[in-house]
Amino acid sequence: MATAILEQFINGAMMGSIYVLMALGMVLIYGVMHVLNFAHGVLFMVGGYLTHLFFFSWTGSYPLAILCSMVALAAIGVVLERLVFRALRDNLRMQIVSSLGLILIIQNGVVQIWGPHALQMRPASVETLVKFGQLSFTLQHFVIMGVVAAAVVVLYLFLTHTRLGTAMRATSQAPEAAVVVGIDPNRVYTLTFMIACALAGLGGALLGPLFLIFPQMGDAPMLKALSAIVIGGMGSVPGAIVGGLGIGIVESLSTLVIPTDYRDTITFGVLILMLLIRPWGIFGVRVRGED
Amino acid sequence: MKLSFSTAAAIVILAFGALAPFIFGGQPYILYVLTLALCYTIPAIGVNILYGYTGLVSLGHMGFAGVGAYTTALLMKDVGLPFVPSLFGGMFAAGFLGFLVGIPCLRLRSHYFIIVTLAVGMILYTLFNNLDGLTGGAEGLPGIPRPGNIEIGSFVLDFRSLTGFYVLTFIIAALTFGLQYILVRSDFGRSLSSLRQDESLAAARGVNVFGHKLAAFVLSTAIAGVGGAMKVLFLRAAAPLSFDMHESINLMMMLILGGAGYLVGPVIGAITFIALPEFLRIAAEMRLIFFGFVLLILARFAPRGICGAAEAAYRKLTDKEANVVRYT
Repeated sequence: MATAILEQFINGAMMGSIYVLMALGMVLIYGVMHVLNFAHGVLFMVGGYLTHLFFFSWTGSYPLAILCSMVALAAIGVVLERLVFRALRDNLRMQIVSSLGLILIIQNGVVQIWGPHALQMRPASVETLVKFGQLSFTLQHFVIMGVVAAAVVVLYLFLTHTRLGTAMRATSQAPEAAVVVGIDPNRVYTLTFMIACALAGLGGALLGPLFLIFPQMGDAPMLKALSAIVIGGMGSVPGAIVGGLGIGIVESLSTLVIPTDYRDTITFGVLILMLLIRPWGIFGVRVRGED
Repeated sequence: MKLSFSTAAAIVILAFGALAPFIFGGQPYILYVLTLALCYTIPAIGVNILYGYTGLVSLGHMGFAGVGAYTTALLMKDVGLPFVPSLFGGMFAAGFLGFLVGIPCLRLRSHYFIIVTLAVGMILYTLFNNLDGLTGGAEGLPGIPRPGNIEIGSFVLDFRSLTGFYVLTFIIAALTFGLQYILVRSDFGRSLSSLRQDESLAAARGVNVFGHKLAAFVLSTAIAGVGGAMKVLFLRAAAPLSFDMHESINLMMMLILGGAGYLVGPVIGAITFIALPEFLRIAAEMRLIFFGFVLLILARFAPRGICGAAEAAYRKLTDKEANVVRYT
């Protein structure tokens, strides 16, 4: 039993790390721009496909392929913010409509380009096994956790110790006041989208080799990340980290007790309960009139 | 007397729908596609009441349609009830679930309500997919019977035939449409619209915000249940994939494409979304990419959809003064 718990804990921490990457991106976009980007899952999926593309047809090196796909996703983020979301600021319904439109375009576009079948890529880190007694994990499990931890630290330092990061936090807290002190909100919004999309790309690039790369691979992480940011508190960065890791670990451990089929039922049930009891989340701050 | 845009469009659409079996009687393919479009029109009308008039976005509506569908299918297949009570059973099941979900969740606003509907839709989907004993799991529920014949004198309406089933679906869609027509012209409907335009103001003027939202939600989920039931009766099989998140998104898309907040919006939307690509022979993926772009353009430039554009053209044509509160 103890080994089973440890195994599920490590698996859960690995999936949780992926959810953290997604949740961080969504929480940044929500916190700074008040846009709920449902298309974040398809960007994650594009990250997986682009890593596959760069790995096989260009660089041949997995880390380099990851970096290239993050850069590409950041560029996609700029395009999305400029062309789609900038004009719809403060228009909640049409932002949702646009993000649904993006899901249709990107998901089916990928099917058109790469076909509906799953792709496989197996860099060395997936082939290498790490053994703990009876248990064995791929090295990729630990690569994912390490890279996500590093990404979280870098993001934290960026948000707290650089001028741009401070500008982002300022815009998120008080947009008008930020303009008064000379911050250009448009630049901040573009930057936010860039970072968030690059994080989604990183997630897809990390998870793709471990499982398969297929057009729906981003759907589940997006929904879990959405649950994570609600449970952690909309707009709260620590909340996204705790929520993401928590969902990953709990849903993994729950498979020891209840059938795997009902894992998602439990996750979304907890999400609904959280919204009913404490809609502003664990770490969020209650804003009157918004919940 | 000049006709308003909504009434004129409604008359044209209803006449077209009623005459379709005579026009396309010899072309089963066209009738098949039109029937499928009608099966989506019914839940789209439900979403129109919720989104178009009340202003609430639901991304889990096909989940409720699924509840209606599975209930009706099980009542007809396993219990052996006739069609009409089964359909009412499905409607009540979906509406009752909407009531249960609505009571706690409608207190949430903006993003939070959308997330809750998404989560409810996902939960319902996992249940359809996994309650093997009840719903048949991922393989679905095959062999759902069609309604029995109706004989009026020497005239027999056979619902197993395509034409017969088209007529049945059309009648039910027309009844739903009529309900929508009565609803939005009633005081109740005007109160719903006031919630969409300014909730605080509506509350200050004495509209019971929660009660109206709940009523709209229950009504809209019940209608979605009827739509889901007609869909599985038509396809003669219920499968979880017919009621997943993407279907719910497609449903919202149809409505926005057609024109949310217009009586004929859901009809135009469903026909454009389902039938037009079939007739233009566009591949399924290309169709969704195309509609994705259409959606982005609509969101940016014409948030009132096809009906919004058509109404503007009609106004110019009949030179009628603009006296309707514009949809925002």
